[in-house]
Amino acid sequence: MLFDQIKKYLVETAGVDPQKFENPELKVADLELDSLGLIEMLFEVEDKYGFQIPDPMVFLPMSFAEMVSAIDTMVQEHSQSQALKN
Amino acid sequence: MNKVVVTGSGIICPLGADKASTFAAALQARSGIGACPTDIAAWLPHIVVAQASVDPQTLLDRADHGLDRATQFALIAAAQAIADAGFACPPSDSQRVGVFVGIGFGGSQTSDGLYTRFYRTLSDPDQKHKDPTVMHPLTVPRIMANAAAAAITMRYGLHGPSNTYSVACASSAIAIGEAYRAIRHGYLDTAVVVGTEAMLNPGALMGWNALRVMAKPDARDPSRSCRPFSSDRSGFVIGEGAAALVLESASHSNRRGAKVLAELAGYGCSSDAQHLTAPSVDGQADAMQQALQEAGLAPEQIQYINAHGTATDAGDLIETQSIHKAFGSAARQVAVSSTKSVHGHLIGAAGALELALSIEALNSGSLPPTAHLDNTDPRCDLDYIPLRARHGCHVEAVMSNSFAFGGSNVSLVARRFAAR
Repeated sequence: MLFDQIKKYLVETAGVDPQKFENPELKVADLELDSLGLIEMLFEVEDKYGFQIPDPMVFLPMSFAEMVSAIDTMVQEHSQSQALKN
Repeated sequence: MNKVVVTGSGIICPLGADKASTFAAALQARSGIGACPTDIAAWLPHIVVAQASVDPQTLLDRADHGLDRATQFALIAAAQAIADAGFACPPSDSQRVGVFVGIGFGGSQTSDGLYTRFYRTLSDPDQKHKDPTVMHPLTVPRIMANAAAAAITMRYGLHGPSNTYSVACASSAIAIGEAYRAIRHGYLDTAVVVGTEAMLNPGALMGWNALRVMAKPDARDPSRSCRPFSSDRSGFVIGEGAAALVLESASHSNRRGAKVLAELAGYGCSSDAQHLTAPSVDGQADAMQQALQEAGLAPEQIQYINAHGTATDAGDLIETQSIHKAFGSAARQVAVSSTKSVHGHLIGAAGALELALSIEALNSGSLPPTAHLDNTDPRCDLDYIPLRARHGCHVEAVMSNSFAFGGSNVSLVARRFAAR
């Protein structure tokens, strides 16, 4: 789900070639985003789940799948912390 | 000193999304003023505004949709002006091409959106799980006052200086004047000059409302709410949009065989140094006299003045007196109109829009009227071209005035270009 959401943004708004996502080894670096492009991409997640991802640069050496997984973990942690608050 | 010419112009404003339709509407006194957007009218039901005739997003690629609305207007006007000038970009002499922008409230739409998002998230029970401080990462580069200048340099590959002037209602008149000087004194060969403004959002209009300068809606016809020089005027109407001009040295335009719209011949500027909002005869007259002197023109050689003419009591009266002071006995002969009566006050874009319209008047011999001027204020005793355009006029030179809150006064003079 998160994979598709980020992919949709990258293809439709950032102009990334959709073919790239066929490659399971796709690297974040292969998306060819500059530093602003990277944080704009992360905003798609931040806006939906309502928290700021602390350090965008940690994703740079990752594969795209690893990044999605790492973000998914952050989303889960955020949801749990919110559940504890309420 | 280099002679400076205007070789292109572009407009998106409440009267139209290009210069031909805008000038036609101005000549016909067809007003672009009307009711407020509903989100603003909910709080300020008595405010009328002049919205751009076209939503800028409909004229731009999706990649530009996140830009501040003022930057979007600026890109549209600049594209028109550059095409009108036949100026191929990126130019081979890109270091000699500057970008000069005037804007009053930089990033107003984006700032308003930031606060709206914060409070909406904070107060919405369905969004309790969200941190209200999460904002779009490009919020700051969208708000910065030089966002439009930056966007234009990047789009067209222009490597000369990119300067932004924020001088309230005189912003783009100053931008034009400073670009003119840079070319005149040989620092640049070409400049793309843009005035832009987009502040028809709740926060900005609440501020304007508090200043007590806004027009009351005309009970019969809201489009008639802005009535400069009229005995029943009630204040001004905020508008939005952009206008752009391409300025060049005459020799540069000649080398590339460009058509010339007009010679920009004089620029005068002064500060009142007396009151935050009240205008001054001496300061305004000084700006007009400087512009005339630089153009080497006597007052009787100006056939048309596009007045600042905002439709405030003090503004209309003081400008009338200033024209008397600067023009002397010629004041009674010169035709003066305020096109703000139909396009509203575009603040940072006003100077560029009104000079562009004045140049259309210069070249067509048709002078746009002051709309809705059925009853002229008896204290305002000039020829304001009431109600109807005047066609077939012999026009050699025109003046455009822009006077700002803060006491900054600017006067620009353009005349027919004669290759000498």
